[in-house]
Amino acid sequence: MKEKVQSPICRVSNLDDNQIRDCNGGFSWWGPSPEEARKTMVQKPKGLIDKRTTIKDAVAKYVKDGMNLAIGGFVNTRPPVALIHEIIRKGAKNLTLSFQSNSICPELLAGAMLIDPAHLSIKRVELAWWGYEVIGIAPLFRHLCQNSLVELDDYTNYGMSARFKAAAMGLEFLPVRDHGGADMELVNRGKMIQSPFTGKNTYLVPACYPDLGILNVTAADMHGNCRLFGAHCTCPEIAMAAAHTVVTAEQIIPLENIRTYPNLTEIPYTAVDAVIEQRFASYPGACYGNYWFDMEHILMFRSASEEFRKSGNKDHLKKYYDEYIFGCETYDDFLSKIPYRTLKKIREMDGGQPMILS
Amino acid sequence: MAEYTPFEMIAYTGSRVLEDNTIVFVGTGLPIIASIHAQLTHAPGLGIIFEAGPLTPVLEMGMPLSVGDTRACRKACYLKGLSSVFELTQRGHADYAFIGGAQIDMYGNVNSTFEGGTYKAAKTRFPGSGGAGAMAANCEKSIIIMALEPRRFTPKLDFLTSIGFGDGSPDYREKSGVMGSGPYRVITNEALFGFDKETRRMVLLEAAKGRTAEDIQKKVSFELLISPDLKEMTEPSDKDLKLLREECDPDGYFLARKLK
Repeated sequence: MKEKVQSPICRVSNLDDNQIRDCNGGFSWWGPSPEEARKTMVQKPKGLIDKRTTIKDAVAKYVKDGMNLAIGGFVNTRPPVALIHEIIRKGAKNLTLSFQSNSICPELLAGAMLIDPAHLSIKRVELAWWGYEVIGIAPLFRHLCQNSLVELDDYTNYGMSARFKAAAMGLEFLPVRDHGGADMELVNRGKMIQSPFTGKNTYLVPACYPDLGILNVTAADMHGNCRLFGAHCTCPEIAMAAAHTVVTAEQIIPLENIRTYPNLTEIPYTAVDAVIEQRFASYPGACYGNYWFDMEHILMFRSASEEFRKSGNKDHLKKYYDEYIFGCETYDDFLSKIPYRTLKKIREMDGGQPMILS
Repeated sequence: MAEYTPFEMIAYTGSRVLEDNTIVFVGTGLPIIASIHAQLTHAPGLGIIFEAGPLTPVLEMGMPLSVGDTRACRKACYLKGLSSVFELTQRGHADYAFIGGAQIDMYGNVNSTFEGGTYKAAKTRFPGSGGAGAMAANCEKSIIIMALEPRRFTPKLDFLTSIGFGDGSPDYREKSGVMGSGPYRVITNEALFGFDKETRRMVLLEAAKGRTAEDIQKKVSFELLISPDLKEMTEPSDKDLKLLREECDPDGYFLARKLK
């Protein structure tokens, strides 16, 4: 299989043929095709309607077995934890996950799968990075890989961003300046081609059109116009790539404010299907301008995960889910279990980063 | 001369390598500390890119604990998202990629994907490329931090995540479609390496005080080239250590590794 590769990686790679992605079967989309995604968009009503709903109703409506679920945020920044909790309560099978770098969200989904695969399961993951940075590796991801429980499709962070961007642009692919000459080109679904203009080797990454994108944003109006402060991560691209997008917003602001500074709208209302006002929706992750991340809570979940990975004992892991997810009807019920002092502290740790909400 | 830890030596050496009035694209941990130290000493004009979005922030809220930390956005000159900063690297705005990894070979190719087993059943899966593969491809020069151990300085990577000079052939990077000129320095606490212009192989440039080239070679599983001008690594001064401990990483997240 290596012989078919145009790039010089075949001269260097130590991967054997069994590890290399077999492209003989041809390419297939792990989610809607560009045409299907466009059709879904064309058929949506485009009025400035009130899209506010509850997390429970949005998840019941948009989360389906076998779907490609794109997760917004970046590692511990603005992960859509509130939506992930409800997806775990609802259950979903054979999910494809797509994201660039994430921590607690895919770990929470992986833990749900390891506790009860009949309730929630992940079939494959298109990603750049899965871990907790300063806090350590993601134990459940390592477990999934050791036991070959999920199919992987590895890219760089830019690769995943470019894939969502390509979909946001309505394209099939984008040329990028990375992956080439690295083993990622042998295991992922991208392809080296020769530029039709200069004949030079050019790496193409296929677009990623998720069925559903889930995000937490700084602020949105009731129609889904979103503002993002702090790093955008790849949230605008994900929102515009996905066939459907559900956003939690730390705060709902009036349309009038959006119209005052239209340049501040990073995601237009046409890209958003449902909006839920939810404070602390990224907890224990951070949300710029609102709160920093809660290392203690992440460490608690991570140590239960690490214990399971090392011993196979699920008790502590299961206890976390029973206490914080299945034992809660809503995300506010979960937040009610977090001490006020903790929430106060992480608000202070943010340091009052500036935002424009007017 | 005060006592210093291996992590402090790596951070200090990283700082030394960074030139003033350049842009460094950092990974989490020691690269951030090294960059802050450089800004506080010889390189006040050093700008930092964090991959979640910010370009040239003012790190007045303390060291960002990760490249996605909201503190890394503080008073940045430009703040969008991942696409924007990586596109800057493709266009030539970033002078240095500053990354880590689990394995490196003699041509500066780096593995941060898995070790042992196979890609589909990895014995030890790491988080993955993250930004590293893109940074090593398109920042102009790559600086790589690695622990000096024979199993990490290996002739055979389990997986090539971040491109170096490939097999060392002169056109490897061009044929791979990447834009940066490639590996520049490899930093360990006992040795500083560069790359030979002709062969693109790793060269020992500096060894820590009291270490010979033979000592370093023993910790590397491929044959090193030795610089004819082999130098002793500069040690951090008391002032440098004070800066590292009190200004750069006062809580000791990376220099003292309290979490592990």
